[in-house]
Amino acid sequence: MTAVKTTETAAPVGNIPPALPPAVTGGARKRRRRGGAFDRALPYLLLAPALIAILWLIGWPVVSVFVTSFQQLNLGELVRGEVVWTGFENYVTVLKDERFWEVSLRTVVFTVSVVVASVGMGLGIALLMRVLTPWVRIALQIAMLCAWAMPILASTTVYQWMFDQNYGILNKTLVQLGFDSFAGYSWFSSGTSTLSVVGLLIIWQAIPFLAFSLYAGLVGIPRDLYEAAGIDGATGWQTFRAVTWPEIRSLLMMVTFLSTLWDFKVFAQIWVFRGGGPNGESTTLPVLQYLEGIAKSHFGVAAAISVLMMVILGLITFQYLRKLLQTEEGKL
Amino acid sequence: MLKKSAANIAGLALALFFLFPTYWMITTALKPRGSTITSDYDLIPFSVTFTNFVTAWTKPGFLSSLGNSLIVTLTAVVAAIVIGITAAVAMSRFAFRGRKSFVLLMLVAQMAPFEALLIPMFLMMRDLQLYEHLSSLILVYFAVTLPFCAWTLRGFVNGIPVELEEAAMVDGCGRWKAFQKVTLPLLGPGLVATSVFAFITAWNEFLFAKVLIRSQDKETLPVWLSGFETAFGTDWGGAMAASVLFTVPALVFFLIVQRKMVAGVTAGAVKG
Repeated sequence: MTAVKTTETAAPVGNIPPALPPAVTGGARKRRRRGGAFDRALPYLLLAPALIAILWLIGWPVVSVFVTSFQQLNLGELVRGEVVWTGFENYVTVLKDERFWEVSLRTVVFTVSVVVASVGMGLGIALLMRVLTPWVRIALQIAMLCAWAMPILASTTVYQWMFDQNYGILNKTLVQLGFDSFAGYSWFSSGTSTLSVVGLLIIWQAIPFLAFSLYAGLVGIPRDLYEAAGIDGATGWQTFRAVTWPEIRSLLMMVTFLSTLWDFKVFAQIWVFRGGGPNGESTTLPVLQYLEGIAKSHFGVAAAISVLMMVILGLITFQYLRKLLQTEEGKL
Repeated sequence: MLKKSAANIAGLALALFFLFPTYWMITTALKPRGSTITSDYDLIPFSVTFTNFVTAWTKPGFLSSLGNSLIVTLTAVVAAIVIGITAAVAMSRFAFRGRKSFVLLMLVAQMAPFEALLIPMFLMMRDLQLYEHLSSLILVYFAVTLPFCAWTLRGFVNGIPVELEEAAMVDGCGRWKAFQKVTLPLLGPGLVATSVFAFITAWNEFLFAKVLIRSQDKETLPVWLSGFETAFGTDWGGAMAASVLFTVPALVFFLIVQRKMVAGVTAGAVKG
């Protein structure tokens, strides 16, 4: 009984043909005769807790956010337990609001800048690591590990201290270097400046992952390809274009997708620095969702914002998963 | 040769760039009170004290939020690992109808944009009367980490040859005993790596911790630290000491799994 089941799974898991209805194949019928009802139910029983949890804690909220976005749901309705359907009114409110477009544009610009900078520098550092003397490379790797491991709230607090208006080490250093105008300079007096500091913090913490993954990809490129390119007299740039680029392009694509997903959703760092301020100038979509939904208790409107965010994130995720499923790792 | 030394200099400069905030956090935490807030240029500290750590440790809210963070994180991760491993074994060791759909569901679920589910989660926890309870956070962190654990552990189970279990069963073990005696021990490193990833995700989480918990005695460490100005005022030494204490568990875990770090994160959706 068990032997039948295990020889089946002995084949690489990815190659298992889709199960056929038991009535169609003789083998399956034999299996049914040999295995008891419990054996056939076992995989489903093992999966049941995870499946229930996912449907309850992820599936239902996804449905619920769509449902809520078609309701008028403010604190009053919530307390009274009323259900007021308003059709697309929340979407009209959101899409007609100039502030929404301003915030969306800011979010996109912020995300793109952070992703481009961190992926670009990550790739640069990965390429650099290949030519470093071993001890320098290890020092760089340890330093990056320290940045990567710091919890977000710890690093946010440290950055606040480094960028402190009066006693921050950055301003003090700039004054030492002769830029006297930075004495008491506030880095958080405008939205652009605040988001630049937040962006620097995010880039600083994102690069280690990117550099390590891309470096792992680079190390995997066969050496003889480079030797061949060297024999053919290729320049550094030509070697990069012809050998390195094709080998890491798909990996680069994957980490870019992941970075985009992560950076688009950033909330903690932006919120902790200035709460989306000054004057809402550093508010991005996740912060707007929080302000509308939680701070103002406009749950319906906030749900409409969430749905619009999910559409954007969903499109990126879809592309990412399509790429992932083509690779070895994503084999079902 | 010249090119190589230029590269090395760039490498060292980058190392300083990445290390500096950690260096600054630790040295500020070690400075005596009074010499943190000063206009002197103090890049290199001259005196060392541990009073800031004592201050941070005894601040109202530090110990309770540390405890809350540990309770929430550990409970969620243990639950996610236990349920994740059963799902992983099902997906990896059995052939059954709908297996591929389950695997795909797990993969999609681990990419779920939780930040965009803030409103329904909040409403759901309120309906369940869990708002303001640590159990609401446990449920959220469990949901965030479960698909990742199931997906990653499936990869690790796939890597253990099924022939080993078969051999045990030929020798007279039942299926459960074969799993327990053969697969589970071999799964050890994978379990460690997966739970560390899950731990770090939950340890870092801020948005839900802020929204679902409002009373001070129930908040987690990230939320407590985000309001450090209430606790420390301009006592940056104390704030940095608290940050160090918050970083240490994460750093220790990072070092344990650093080799698996890259593979794990590209396979999953854990924010590094």
